[in-house]
Amino acid sequence: MSRTDTLKSLEVVIESFLERAVSLKSGRLDVLDGINRLDDIARSTGEPGTFQQVELSDQIGEWFAQHRQWIDDSTLRASDLNRIGQILGGITKEIDSSGQFTPATEKIRAEIERWQSRMTAAPSQSRPTTGRKIVLRKGPESLDEAGVHPSNQDSIGLYAESLKTMAGLFEDLSRDRLHLMSILDDSLKTASLKKSREALLLSASIIYYLKQNGYMIEPFVKRLKEAERLQKRSRAGA
Amino acid sequence: MLNPAEKAYLQALQALREKQYGQAAGYFDRAAEFFGNNREFSLLRETTNLLLEVKKAIAAAEGRNDDVLIAEEIISYGKETKLS
Repeated sequence: MSRTDTLKSLEVVIESFLERAVSLKSGRLDVLDGINRLDDIARSTGEPGTFQQVELSDQIGEWFAQHRQWIDDSTLRASDLNRIGQILGGITKEIDSSGQFTPATEKIRAEIERWQSRMTAAPSQSRPTTGRKIVLRKGPESLDEAGVHPSNQDSIGLYAESLKTMAGLFEDLSRDRLHLMSILDDSLKTASLKKSREALLLSASIIYYLKQNGYMIEPFVKRLKEAERLQKRSRAGA
Repeated sequence: MLNPAEKAYLQALQALREKQYGQAAGYFDRAAEFFGNNREFSLLRETTNLLLEVKKAIAAAEGRNDDVLIAEEIISYGKETKLS
């Protein structure tokens, strides 16, 4: 077998691997593609001078028609539903802020509302909730006769102190950094390597902030859980 | 809203599905800052790069040069000119 033949065999093997790998993700790929298209439509509504109501109405209508089955089956994950809800909310907000109330905008709004109501109804119909019930208890908001809080701990003061430490840590980590994710990366490393509780809390706060801003945070959540596990183990061994 | 890295990863996967490996590699590069620690992402990215290297080696062995695309635009003072 010549060198070229060997290379060609390798080419076939690698192409076949990639084809199968992508094929395994085919379902998710379709969902993400659909969300991405809706996202593109939403972004086009925000571009000045491009708000073409009839065209937008057509695009959204077409998108809804193509993805109607998503509501009826269990294709979508909770995070997908959340994202679609956010994007549809953004489109509605854009229409409202444009101040244009025409048959086209009303049609879009009605279609979005119909979808949102079906989306919130769908999970309860198709996916029974199996979540655990959590009961939180706390002591009364008053001091005892000796003027001491019953829990014997100034939780507000402790939290304020923790916030200060986190703010200082954030300032240190943000030097020479251009993106919040770089700071998060450093904060997670500090939480894991130095077993810093404040770094762990800071990381959790940044992750939640990124989540609120629509970033994909799963890899960071994994690292946060790992750092938390390391800290627990370290405390147990101390 | 999807962030640019998520969009790039999605486009990379779509390009792989269409067997547009060069394009896929470009999209993977754009998404790398965000997904660099994701094992699945890294596997697909490195495999795609490996495939491109193999294709390049095959082209070189066969005396082809697939990398070079020569595009020449013939425009003079804003007007099209006839190709001679």
